[in-house]
Amino acid sequence: MAGTALAPGKVRVKTSAMRGHRSRIALVNAVPVTVFLLVLFVYPIIGVLSLSLKGDTGGFTLHWYADALSGVNLSVLLSTLRISAETAVLSLLVGFVLAHAIARMRPVFAALAMLIVVVPHFISALVRTYGWIIMLGDHGLINTLLTSLHMPGAPFPLLYNEIGVVIGTTSVMLPYTVLVLQGVMRGVDGRLLAAAAGFGASRLTIFRRIYLPLVAPGIGTAGLLSFILCLGYYITPALMGGDKQTVVAALIDQQVMKQDQWNSAAAFGVILLLLTFAGLGVLGLAKLRRKKAAARRSGS
Amino acid sequence: MMELPATRAGHIGRALSATAILLFLAMPIVIILVTSFGADGIGTFPPKEYSTHWYEQMAAPGGNWATSIALSSLIASLTTVFSLILGATAATALARGRLPLHTAVYGLVLAPLLIPQVVIALGLFLFFEPAGMLGSPLAIALGHTVLAAPIAILIMISTLRGIDERLEDAAASMGANRMTIARRITFPLATPGLIAAAVFSFITSFDEFFIAQFLSTPDTRTLPVLVFNALQFDVDPTVTAVSAVLIALAVLALALVALVRKLGGHRDGRHALPVEPLT
Repeated sequence: MAGTALAPGKVRVKTSAMRGHRSRIALVNAVPVTVFLLVLFVYPIIGVLSLSLKGDTGGFTLHWYADALSGVNLSVLLSTLRISAETAVLSLLVGFVLAHAIARMRPVFAALAMLIVVVPHFISALVRTYGWIIMLGDHGLINTLLTSLHMPGAPFPLLYNEIGVVIGTTSVMLPYTVLVLQGVMRGVDGRLLAAAAGFGASRLTIFRRIYLPLVAPGIGTAGLLSFILCLGYYITPALMGGDKQTVVAALIDQQVMKQDQWNSAAAFGVILLLLTFAGLGVLGLAKLRRKKAAARRSGS
Repeated sequence: MMELPATRAGHIGRALSATAILLFLAMPIVIILVTSFGADGIGTFPPKEYSTHWYEQMAAPGGNWATSIALSSLIASLTTVFSLILGATAATALARGRLPLHTAVYGLVLAPLLIPQVVIALGLFLFFEPAGMLGSPLAIALGHTVLAAPIAILIMISTLRGIDERLEDAAASMGANRMTIARRITFPLATPGLIAAAVFSFITSFDEFFIAQFLSTPDTRTLPVLVFNALQFDVDPTVTAVSAVLIALAVLALALVALVRKLGGHRDGRHALPVEPLT
């Protein structure tokens, strides 16, 4: 840290002139990013929204939404939700086990493990997906291994189906869940667990009654985060899913690139957007409730 | 976390499951690195013979791969410049100033990281198509900046928060003007953060697929778009070598950031990485 020579402190004497100066500087500096994102992020998304509500002749219509929520399209939407939910649950389970183990490792091993979690996150998802394709094929590493062990039923169909997709997306989302869970687990006060043990609680009771409630917010955040990020995810399902496992993002890509069905693509985009907002809203509400509860506790 | 008395079995179980999960994360990458040196074409692991054939194929001048590597590098460089400018200004506003509407601006900055990329890509397509800018490297770079700038901003905010403001105040009290303070105090202290922001902007753009896919034309395909097409339609084993190069690039970039942070005196072990926007 830059300030090791000086103890961190909040008390500073500041004149009101300086404060005014700071807020002027802040306003000026906030302009570029605000303008940039309004023009190239907010405005284009409004464009998507208005396109999704526009009929062929230019009038208002909900036709594209009705279309998106029926027939084959609806089943694509539902399978996207299902794949996202499966991925979220799986990466939560796997992430919990790993984060919990890391929290109890010796520092050197913990650092090494975190490196193996973080580095893949910055390697192109395309590349990691390709690695899975090589591994999961009928003659891939895993099936070769299982066959040579005379596993009954091997080789298993692990690629170009939902199993393959969920394995792939889980490996992409796992770094997020591990990092979030790692954060909350580090914050758990070990003395609480030791105190419970001192009162004679069994390990299971301590886990269920003390540890789990303390890390619950992290579990919620990590799960919802991977669910949300999965909703619009494309690369892995497109490459590992085969023909039957289409997801919404792939459908949008198809409609724009091959069929010129922009309105319909836009309606799907808005549905994804609304689902994302719903997820973020749940996260925000949970955070707010925790804050209020904390304020009540410290107030009374 | 404090240790509870653990059973031996529990200890071994944890070690085994952690190892298995870490293998799950590392294996796809190891497989690609090994396969890229295989002589016998796509998807055979382990290879029976080794060669650097696919690397030579990839680097062949005038070939598709070399062209798209050059294009991706150009776009990533532009993206880096844009997001450093936006990052430096926005982080100054958000970390230092008393900004009215602070929460709104912060939310706007975080939003591109959480909104489905396909929606952003579709929006940008509708934005650039009427302007006749599809296939323009500038348009793709601007699109990538929507994703890269938030990351750069988050990194720079954490850098600025790590700099003791009293150093600036002290310089001011000794009569240094604002430019001098920025040049002699803030900028040198913020350099590791700037470099980290630049590196992450670059790899964000270099790896980005969706926006590039929507904004590209058959003549202007970035590397990830070409890789995606190769995986989906052709069976071109060169793609293993390209993937290995992408891995090497990411590892080099992370090593560079780690080195710079170490030289800059960051030893607190917390990553200034843009991976947990919600916590």
